[in-house]
Amino acid sequence: MKKGLSNKTWLCILGGVMALCAAAAALVFLRMPKGAVAVVTLDGEEVHRVDLSAVTEDYELSFTGKSGITDVVEVAPGKIRVRQADCPDQVCVKQGWIGTGVAPIVCLPNRLVIEIADGAGKVDGVTG
Amino acid sequence: MKRAMVWGLLLCLALAGCAPQSAQRTIFAMDTVMELTVYGKDAEENVKAAAERINELEKLLSVTREDSEVWALDHAGGETVRISPETNALLRAARAVGEATGGALDVTLYPVVRAWGFTTGEYQIPDGGTLEELLKKVDYRAIRVEPDETGPANATLPAGAEVDFGALAKGYAGELCAGMLRGSGVESALLSLGGNIQTVGNKPDGSPWVVAVQDPAGEGGESLGTVELTDQAAVTSGGYQRFFEENGVRYWHILDPETGLPARSGLVSVTVVGESGTLCDGLSTACFVLGKDASLDLWRRCGETGLWPTHETTGMADEGGFDLILVGEDGVVTVTAGLRDRFRLDENTGHTLQIVEE
Amino acid sequence: MSTKRLTRCALLTAVALTIFVAEAQIPLPLPVPWMKLGLANIVTVYAMFALGPGDTLMILLARVILGSLFTGGMTLAYSLSGGLCCYLVMLPLQKILTEKQLWVCGAIGAAAHNLGQMGAAVLIARTPQLVLYLPWLLLAGIPAGAFTGLCAQLLLGRMKNTK
Repeated sequence: MKKGLSNKTWLCILGGVMALCAAAAALVFLRMPKGAVAVVTLDGEEVHRVDLSAVTEDYELSFTGKSGITDVVEVAPGKIRVRQADCPDQVCVKQGWIGTGVAPIVCLPNRLVIEIADGAGKVDGVTG
Repeated sequence: MKRAMVWGLLLCLALAGCAPQSAQRTIFAMDTVMELTVYGKDAEENVKAAAERINELEKLLSVTREDSEVWALDHAGGETVRISPETNALLRAARAVGEATGGALDVTLYPVVRAWGFTTGEYQIPDGGTLEELLKKVDYRAIRVEPDETGPANATLPAGAEVDFGALAKGYAGELCAGMLRGSGVESALLSLGGNIQTVGNKPDGSPWVVAVQDPAGEGGESLGTVELTDQAAVTSGGYQRFFEENGVRYWHILDPETGLPARSGLVSVTVVGESGTLCDGLSTACFVLGKDASLDLWRRCGETGLWPTHETTGMADEGGFDLILVGEDGVVTVTAGLRDRFRLDENTGHTLQIVEE
Repeated sequence: MSTKRLTRCALLTAVALTIFVAEAQIPLPLPVPWMKLGLANIVTVYAMFALGPGDTLMILLARVILGSLFTGGMTLAYSLSGGLCCYLVMLPLQKILTEKQLWVCGAIGAAAHNLGQMGAAVLIARTPQLVLYLPWLLLAGIPAGAFTGLCAQLLLGRMKNTK
């Protein structure tokens, strides 16, 4: 028999670590914003989907619809926007970054929509 | 393990069988993106019918399509034009809202909106002379409709005047589709018509629909709060939706028919909740122009009954009561009594809630 | 290296590899990636106590490298750092634990495995937020490790009897 701690002591230690983990997990679960997934659709077709909370470096994507208009979409950690667009009204560009919100970015002339799926709690629709 | 997997698979199948049937469709119409979700039997057929109905309405009501009825009316040069029951219904609704709000909603404001460039995105500030000239033609009371009842009719617009149902058409489309879906036996549907929400019944699980109201101050389209809806519509108008800035001043698309200038009433957004989507749509614009006090007065007078008391006079839903969510520049969110238990302000938005009982 | 030792190591590697690949084929409906029973750990714990640290390291490395080849994907770096962390904590544990305490070794080894994997994931994906998954991983990993350790413990007892 080697020397060492008893089974009971080990059980207590591991139990303690588990309890700590449970507390930490609960804390994380309560504090963590739900992973905001951005979905980009062009004329109703999904063209890009990204978990914004997992983005570490900025990147850009260009989408050109049937109208010939091009939207440059910029994805950054936790947020997404239309950085540049050929459309006349620039409503989509002015809307700026979205990330935690419920309202989608819409570039009507290009039929481009950026939505946050399941963002900011669970709602069925948005009026605004 | 194998047995467990088989059972798991069976369970999944069983659950899939219980899940409500649903169909979803995204359409681009009426200058916005619409998402239609219908539950229940024949969901696919019903959602298709709703989408087709909206496209039909767009063909009829578009102010930019040269084959639309509205175009014909606007370009008749003072001649009388035959109009469909739908256009007639909207003209009647426009008159009802206009009269109740002292002209805060005027569907003949279109030439002024165009002068600002809000129709094309080529924004500019029109000079006082231009506005004055254009405003002379703005008067919804000058529209003549014969006979003065629902159904097809003859309409006459003074030469030079132009009608645009931008402030009513989406709400009307939602209301018509909701009525059509109910008629087909649909018990649950959510029609999101570019910020206009129209619901049919409750969610498939029987609980009310939960709809977020966008925070007008939020940069990223955050939620201000949520409102529960059952068989109701919720429509929001706000200066943040479409605007441009010049020399540090923000000019938005909701204009005061009195002055032809962006309406500055101290409100940043107005959400109207009620049974009639058309009423909600028209009132959200009108109340934004009216401001808080006048809007609350209107609610005290008509909140219970709505503006079209009987089905006969307008062809709209006869139960037309409404409630208001007014967001002020001062950060105060004023909610009328009917939404006391149905509106919830989000935490940490920096707004304060005020409930108006009477 | 004696033929007996070589055969024993090869055999255990084959067993561990089989378990590892088999387990990878069973999709578990778990929300967090990397969450699994880690049945191949039975072999590692068993080898640690039955054969000693040297042979265990060889079996472990062979299993991890071949395993990632067989299951494909980017798993090598994760498995390797997890496996090595697990191995390092088992070294002192092997000295102080009795033969009736292999479950402790399994539990702590599994926790170390989780930590190592997480470290590698954070470095490779450069996403520190991944650490938030750690409590969950540990919560599942420690009992799973205790279970696999217990399996190794029973195995050790049976193997003794057959000799």
